[in-house]
Amino acid sequence: MLDLVFLAFIFFILLLGLKRPFLWVLLYVYIDILAPQRIGYSLITSLPVSLIAFAAAFGGWLVLDRKEGGRFSVRQGLMLALLVYCWWTTGHADFPEEAATKWDWVWKALLFAIFLPFTLTTRARIEALALMLVLTVATIVIGTGMKTILGGGGYQNLKFFVNDNSGIYESSTLATVAIGLIPMIWWFTRHGTVFRPHWLVTAFAVALTFACLLVPVGTEARTGLLCIAALGVLLLRYTKRRIMFIAGAGVLGLAALPFLPQSYYERMATLAEPGGDESASTRVAVWEWTLDYVAEKPTGGGFDAYRSNSFTYVMPVKQVDGNTTTVTYQQVEDKGRAFHSSFFELLGEQGWPGLIIWLSLHALGLWQMERIYRRWKGAEAEAEAWIAPFAASLQMGALIYLVGATFQGIGYQPVMLMLVGLQIGLASYCARIDSAQSLHQRSERRRAVIDDKLRGAVAA
Amino acid sequence: MIDYFALALGHGLMAIALLRLVLRADLDADPLIGQLKADTAENRMAASSAGRNAARRAKAGKEAADT
Repeated sequence: MLDLVFLAFIFFILLLGLKRPFLWVLLYVYIDILAPQRIGYSLITSLPVSLIAFAAAFGGWLVLDRKEGGRFSVRQGLMLALLVYCWWTTGHADFPEEAATKWDWVWKALLFAIFLPFTLTTRARIEALALMLVLTVATIVIGTGMKTILGGGGYQNLKFFVNDNSGIYESSTLATVAIGLIPMIWWFTRHGTVFRPHWLVTAFAVALTFACLLVPVGTEARTGLLCIAALGVLLLRYTKRRIMFIAGAGVLGLAALPFLPQSYYERMATLAEPGGDESASTRVAVWEWTLDYVAEKPTGGGFDAYRSNSFTYVMPVKQVDGNTTTVTYQQVEDKGRAFHSSFFELLGEQGWPGLIIWLSLHALGLWQMERIYRRWKGAEAEAEAWIAPFAASLQMGALIYLVGATFQGIGYQPVMLMLVGLQIGLASYCARIDSAQSLHQRSERRRAVIDDKLRGAVAA
Repeated sequence: MIDYFALALGHGLMAIALLRLVLRADLDADPLIGQLKADTAENRMAASSAGRNAARRAKAGKEAADT
């Protein structure tokens, strides 16, 4: 039954796309994030829906689209360079089989992010993509939020639609993405044109924001808490009454405390004492190992290069026996620990060149969004007023992602790469408006001069 | 149950959004850029002597046809 509903929905979009092929791009976004083929049980699992959607999106653009104003930007070039470089390291990987498995989805995510900006040629398309991203993630987040309220949850306990810790269905990743999208959710309450500003839209945004904030609580992902803190700090820049905002956030935080489960406190407490938790102390060990590894192999070891690491370290082990708790320090051996940080993931897998490309890709994005924000801030015309807040929300999303990425290996996360695509699309669109406006002003001036001359000639 | 509710709500909203998008002409042609380009073309036409002559000829032709 569920399979049929998913297939009907996909067919519905395919049909609508016959009139506006851009909708096929949105279909791919939907399938890539939600992965309906992995939620279903029977028919849909055997169909290559992702491939069909990609072929439709690309083919539709190639054959039917006007392709007006599409340009190849520096950041697309950086992604292309990263793609080629990843292909090269995969060929020379320490673990060819595992590397090939990861390459299999990374190249698709990168290729789609390179392709995406070509399709984002109008304001409506930029908004449509943002809306599809928000609604697809919302579908997952609403379920997670409700389960957290109604059924508790817990670290690695909360069930998503798909429970294999892959893609966005990994608790910390989902927490990062959900928190990162909050500024964009609020952009829709003021500047949305598909769903115009209305009290219903605001009510949905409030509920969805609440659900997003519940994701780190429900999944007990510690990274999520850091992302919430980062969001709070970033919002300070855009708030007029800062003291009120800080006080309000403090009161809200305190009010939330009694509702948090005990297990949440215990898990968050390990944030302050990394020595007491294996997941946290191995992180530092893996990072040190990565630095040593690239000192020997500066071009990186290909995907999943972390598999060759192994360390022994001393860790406090608590033993509770009746009323007495004894802490003994024992040697623990660990092998093949994942990077737990996108920076070190890129460094270990793609070496210094890969890390530099990845860092420039994101740093350029932050700078570009800042420039667009400053350029369009204060624009009052309806057709332009949306740009500055949109750039700000994308910038906040990217910064929250980078905070989350510091503690988890999500360097090639498809949703985040789509956000990069969206940033590039917005930048190209703004550049096109700028150039059209300057041409228009020049033509206005010329016309005024000629009109003056003509009037002078007639009067003479 | 919760899963079905979340899936239904998300897909319902997406379906409405897509239906609204398919009816919008500005999805494929941006009105702001289109307007700017059209205005620029008009100004250029008015500013060039060839454009003015063409306009005058068209006007004269129309007047001749009227009489």
